[in-house]
Amino acid sequence: MEAAVKQLFRWMPFIFGIGFIAPLVAQSLAYWDIEAPFGLSRIYFGLLIGAPWGLYAVWRGRWI
Amino acid sequence: MGLRQVADGPIGDEYLLARDGVGVETLAPETDRSAIPLTGPDGLDRHTRRDLRKQELAVAREYMGGAMWPYVVAAWGGFALWVSLFPLTMLDIVPLPIAFVISCVLATGGYVTSHEAMHSNIAQKGSKRRWVNEWVGQVSTIPIVFPFSMARLMHLEHHYHCNDPEKDPDYTDEAPNALMAWYKTWYNRQPGVDGSIHAYKRILNEMGTPEAARSLKETMVLQLVFMAVLFTMAWSGYAIEAALVWWLPRHIGLSYIRFYLSWAPHHPRAGRTGRYENTYVFKSRLGHVLSMCMETHIVHHLYPNIPNHRTRAAYMALKPILDQRGVDITKL
Repeated sequence: MEAAVKQLFRWMPFIFGIGFIAPLVAQSLAYWDIEAPFGLSRIYFGLLIGAPWGLYAVWRGRWI
Repeated sequence: MGLRQVADGPIGDEYLLARDGVGVETLAPETDRSAIPLTGPDGLDRHTRRDLRKQELAVAREYMGGAMWPYVVAAWGGFALWVSLFPLTMLDIVPLPIAFVISCVLATGGYVTSHEAMHSNIAQKGSKRRWVNEWVGQVSTIPIVFPFSMARLMHLEHHYHCNDPEKDPDYTDEAPNALMAWYKTWYNRQPGVDGSIHAYKRILNEMGTPEAARSLKETMVLQLVFMAVLFTMAWSGYAIEAALVWWLPRHIGLSYIRFYLSWAPHHPRAGRTGRYENTYVFKSRLGHVLSMCMETHIVHHLYPNIPNHRTRAAYMALKPILDQRGVDITKL
């Protein structure tokens, strides 16, 4: 159980990227009436930003 | 409510089970040593120091306690208001910019009410209204996702080991200047950095006591609840509401708290561990209230029983004595 929780928190930035950043990006674009580039839907675009950014934060231990 | 005992050290020893198996009784002489040293750099002889200490205590006693119900109203009312912001913004009843500002104020100010509870200033342990003290603490720091149990343990550790680079949990806030201090408030929250709540978790693990274990568990639960709420709101179409009512105000509140409650009154920290030198009097550009009464934080470190809102008046009364003790009183 403890190991599972540790893993969960280790990967939390990635989960955060998918769970929060992606829909936040999509809904922010919709709020300002901006279309996602390359013909993507807003949520796919949000996932394209949120997931890699979260992975980067897991890898580097920093968001920036 | 009110105080039943007078103390000039951190209240709540019962919560402090120090790291490395060192008990409170072992730490106590260290505190006493810096309080009334037999010889000291201030050039005062032992009798003068003792006399000053008596005068200091007599003045300080006048400012301990008092009406604490405003803290209770602020904590519970503030929490209720904060919770209400979620449906009110989701239903477009309250505009998001207004909710954002209110949430930032509540997230930041919540630490002040919680802080009084950490020192049992609202109701002492064993008193009839102790539960009020505990629930003020519990709800106050939920907006910043900082459980009361962790906040209390770490804050008392800070008091006992103030400015000790190894033992003061807040030492990671130290920075060479104000700009770097603001940057560090953000940097220390990064996932791979041993600062802020990450350092607190490490310290609690090192303490290894039942209280520390409970605190770690509560921290984990609160963080998971925070994430669950954010994710649920975000994927239900309320990501902006979640960001502006909880996520961003939490970050702003934590940075503000770290800067004004930790960096500003204790910088520079290196080598400044003595009773009258571990906290500075400073003049805030934002004024006394907006700096959360931290200009006179030295009074809090000397006498944690003096409520936050009375530290300025207490400082003014104690000023001549503090001056003789070598405290720099020129700023205020």
